[in-house]
Amino acid sequence: MTRILALVGDCYGGPGGIARYNQDLFEALAEGDADILIVPRLGDATGIALPDRIRQLPPVFGRLAFLFSSLVAAWRHRPVDVVFCGHVYMAPLAWIVARVARARLWVQTHGAETWVGRRNIVRRTIEAADMVTTVSRGTRHILMAWADLAPARVRVLPDTVRDVFQPGPRSPALADRLQLGPGPLLLTVGRLSATERYKGHEQIFAAMPDLRARFPTIVHVVAGSGDDRARLEGRARELAGDTGAVRFLGFVPEEDLLDLYRLADLYVMPSSQEGFGIVYLEAAACGLRVVGGQGGGSGDAVAHEGIGVLVDPEDKNALVEAVTRLLGQGKADQAAVDPYRRSHFAAAARLLLARLQVRPRRIRGGS
Amino acid sequence: MCGIAGLYAYLDVAPKVDRRELARMNTRLAPRGPDGSGDWCSPDEKVGFTHRRLAIIDLSDAGAQPMHSADGTLTITFNGEIYNYRELRDELLAKGYSFRSHSDTEVLLQLYRDRGPSMVEALRGMFAFGLWDSRERRLVMARDPLGIRPLYYADDGWTVRFASTAKALLAGGAVSRDPDPAGIVGFHLFGSVPEPFTVWQDIRSVPAGCTVTVDATGPTEPRPYYSVAQALSRRAAGTERDPARARALLSEAVHDSVRHHLVADVPVAVFLSAGLDSGALLGTMAELGARDTLAVTLAFAEFRGKPLDEAPLAAEIAARYGARHVVRTVDRAEFETDLPAILDAMDLPSTDGINTWFVAKAAREAGIKVALSGLGADECFGGYPSFVDVPRSVHLLRPFNFLPGAGTLARRLLTSGVGSALGLHPKTAGVLEYGGNWAGAYLLRRSVYMPWELDDLLDPALLAEGLRRLAPLSRIARELHGGKGLGDFDRVATLETSLYMRNQLLRDADWAGLAHGIEIRVPYVDPFFLAALPPGDVLGGLNAKAAVADVPKPPLPPASRDRRKTGFVTPVGRWLSDAAGVADDGSFSTASRAWLRRVWQAGWTGSTVT
Repeated sequence: MTRILALVGDCYGGPGGIARYNQDLFEALAEGDADILIVPRLGDATGIALPDRIRQLPPVFGRLAFLFSSLVAAWRHRPVDVVFCGHVYMAPLAWIVARVARARLWVQTHGAETWVGRRNIVRRTIEAADMVTTVSRGTRHILMAWADLAPARVRVLPDTVRDVFQPGPRSPALADRLQLGPGPLLLTVGRLSATERYKGHEQIFAAMPDLRARFPTIVHVVAGSGDDRARLEGRARELAGDTGAVRFLGFVPEEDLLDLYRLADLYVMPSSQEGFGIVYLEAAACGLRVVGGQGGGSGDAVAHEGIGVLVDPEDKNALVEAVTRLLGQGKADQAAVDPYRRSHFAAAARLLLARLQVRPRRIRGGS
Repeated sequence: MCGIAGLYAYLDVAPKVDRRELARMNTRLAPRGPDGSGDWCSPDEKVGFTHRRLAIIDLSDAGAQPMHSADGTLTITFNGEIYNYRELRDELLAKGYSFRSHSDTEVLLQLYRDRGPSMVEALRGMFAFGLWDSRERRLVMARDPLGIRPLYYADDGWTVRFASTAKALLAGGAVSRDPDPAGIVGFHLFGSVPEPFTVWQDIRSVPAGCTVTVDATGPTEPRPYYSVAQALSRRAAGTERDPARARALLSEAVHDSVRHHLVADVPVAVFLSAGLDSGALLGTMAELGARDTLAVTLAFAEFRGKPLDEAPLAAEIAARYGARHVVRTVDRAEFETDLPAILDAMDLPSTDGINTWFVAKAAREAGIKVALSGLGADECFGGYPSFVDVPRSVHLLRPFNFLPGAGTLARRLLTSGVGSALGLHPKTAGVLEYGGNWAGAYLLRRSVYMPWELDDLLDPALLAEGLRRLAPLSRIARELHGGKGLGDFDRVATLETSLYMRNQLLRDADWAGLAHGIEIRVPYVDPFFLAALPPGDVLGGLNAKAAVADVPKPPLPPASRDRRKTGFVTPVGRWLSDAAGVADDGSFSTASRAWLRRVWQAGWTGSTVT
């Protein structure tokens, strides 16, 4: 049995992609005989039934308090074999805990934070990690340009798509409710945040006049809410020309999201900085072909001929051509999505844990 | 000799092998193997190998590659020669293994079946290979102990790719050309890129004497199976002190190594200079019964009739041992014509390799595929000035290590203008700071530029990051780890063998030789040979060079013993200065600095296509 102390931003009870990734990862490791104690900074697991061999402490936000409670947790969970660090910014702290606990250090990186967080102490502690995992090849490449890491120590563990995302019939109820017309429907799902303007909504708006010339009833469906919504609606009116060309749905609850994917004809998000882009995969898992953006880590999930293509987000003509071409190609190839399914992810995660334990420890005991 | 490449898409999400990518790598490797080409993909298309063949042992199609084991579970793509393959084959036959060919390649497959990846320890030869074990679903990459054959790999986190040359990996089209600061700084310091770095972030060398295995989680860190320091340390424990007996040991070792290096199904030639090392090879070949050997000597039009001309003395040596002698004269016009091709063939930037380019070209013109070279003799027998300079510097200047800041202060003073006013070489400024320890003294001796001189040549951020990652002094010092009880001679021998010879001489011999389809064999670069020599301190006290002259019977002519080592004193130095556009002041240092800048300007990283 491997005893893991997981220091994370959030996990159970937390929203968002990273919390979900952590859950998927820990469940995969716990099924493989790991015993995991999670110390989160945010998110409360009270009332959530956790799987066997996974426990989560109450959240502790303050940095010093978090360090203190991590050290206490390491003592109570002793002997800790592996300290898992779920966020690059927490690497120095995780390094201290790993050193005190004489455990191996596993740092997980997700996306933008690796090339934003350029503080030297963060870099040094990541360089001291026994294993660093990233979600995409692009993130790995950028991480290794920034930090001096032996290639063998940086592994890729891609996001996994949950089994609920599957191709299925169109929901006539949802189609009636949304009144989106005969289509084709281009779908973009994501937060409309002023800090995440790289997702490329405006590039799609700008392409809509050209696309409407080819597909007069084509509609761009924007799912998601956020502080940038009002501005984006203004931009859509300016750029897309026809008022019916872009539809903002606001926040779409998870139970409707699946039907929304199945209703759409193409997933379009020419993002320039996606860390991984789990939405691309969820869309593809529901049968949608995908137009993604070059840059960041999105290439990993999209750049498969059975799933989609990447375009230069600044190249409007390329976007128009890609949409036109992919609309004619039918459904995404499920064989291409399959390796991202949970069983593959779980097997890969357990192999990585085994690999980490084969390594001689880099971190020597503090005393 | 051959060219190999392959890829393994080890993650489930990684796309299957793109045969077009394999084909592009194969095309780039074509000059290395003009006699045949083959490729293979595993049934699930997650593994693909390609191979270019220069047929030397078992010329039949039975020696073609990639080669599979009889049961189909093992597949290999292999570059090199295994000189003890017959012995190994006999051992395996006795154990009940069977063979379908007479090639050394098949011996590798069966030996792997018998011993797993540790089989590399039994091999005598030069090799680099990728071996796919379908039962274990693992790829094993391995490289010979001293780094004669190159092997590079690129891991993007999904797929690992390997090839004989870094440029073949780039030619495949899937590997980034983003720069690697450590490799770039390393090239500017040493004049060659120190392994495992290349000048590209995503491409690393499999270090000499290491294996790398790749399973479903990707490549392991390189696992060393040989260390020069340890080998010389074991040898130093030897008790043979008698000079006469030591000379006999040396002679036996050369004979044994040459005998092994003659294993081939095509004629083996020799690159002959006027020096002792290559002459001893030719003499030993003749003694071992090689008849009518072709000896190729490089001459320069500028030196005709002058003492620097090697051709007359080489002709005397060739005649003494009954060799057919070919003297190939090179002039400046030919150098200038060949320069673009030289820079294209140069796999990693290097300040050397020009002589090898021309001598290999001459061998090709003479219809030769395999030639012995005296490369490595200076490392074994203490032929470089560093064998004197470096220990002297360390012993003399060690006290300054205990005066913190004194060395740095002296360097600052001398670089502030005092040094050039005194007419000192720029490197002199670092003598006190670096000269008192082995790594520093070696760096001073071998560097083209010193770290503090690079400010004007490289971007400051790249330079700082490159120096941090390369950590040149600790990297040099690391080569001495494990070398317990090494004396002065062996310390320098270790450093020269595991740094200069490996990163510069052997790499240059590879690209410059194989650009012409010539396999260069190096009998002085062989762990079995190294181990058979007397202890280093005995060699050091022996006048090993004179002993080398006595190795063949009859011995080398007296004129070759008296000749001073010319080293790089060829017109190439002047051509290089001219090609680089600087005035020639006759010093090697000026020429190599200018040439270094010229080579780097050829464009290596980023979007520039070389």
